[in-house]
Amino acid sequence: MPDRPKLSIVVLSPQLSKLHAASLMASVAASAGMEVNVFATMEALGQFRRSVIERRDFVLDDVGRELVAKKVPLFYDLLRQGRELGDLHVYGCALAADVMGWKPEDFTDLVEDVIGVTAFFGKSEGAQILTI
Amino acid sequence: MAIDKATAGQADSLNGAQVKPDRVVDARGSFCPGPLMELIKTIKAQPVGTVVELWSSDRGSSKDVPEWIKKAGHDLLYVLEEGDHWRIGVRKAR
Repeated sequence: MPDRPKLSIVVLSPQLSKLHAASLMASVAASAGMEVNVFATMEALGQFRRSVIERRDFVLDDVGRELVAKKVPLFYDLLRQGRELGDLHVYGCALAADVMGWKPEDFTDLVEDVIGVTAFFGKSEGAQILTI
Repeated sequence: MAIDKATAGQADSLNGAQVKPDRVVDARGSFCPGPLMELIKTIKAQPVGTVVELWSSDRGSSKDVPEWIKKAGHDLLYVLEEGDHWRIGVRKAR
């Protein structure tokens, strides 16, 4: 059987609209049968903390404000959906977590593991990589 | 009125209206990619041969959903515009 197409998305931006774009592509790709690996790093990683999601402490631009106002399912909803329908994984960046003092348990359960770049590259072998 | 038989895998809006869906998925009011996700969820849970009709008010889905149906190897039966929403018929083929 040929390898399934793979997509890896590196999420850098904490902006809700960019997290949304990344999660939307990730979930659609996963539900279309691709293996998808999302690497949340730098400023984006903080947005995957439970406390941030609970307080809805999002970084908003115009589109982000409308996503919230119109009650559109947000990035964590999209990622959860993609995980239910396909092969989608979310990883946190070990460097960003260490520098900021964030523990694995600080993150939503969507974040499967906190890993380094080498491990992420291993998972991304043969994948297209997008950076957002 | 004479209606041509739809070619397998091709949209035929005339013939499509004659196919009776087994399941209707009402995703009106849902934003992209909500309707697509709901359709995928339903199709996964149904046996091969099931005809599903998706209702969507999201413009993007009227283009995206047929694209997904083709890629996933199912049969797109019809895409009908009904004022404020679309009705998309698909037969699960595998």
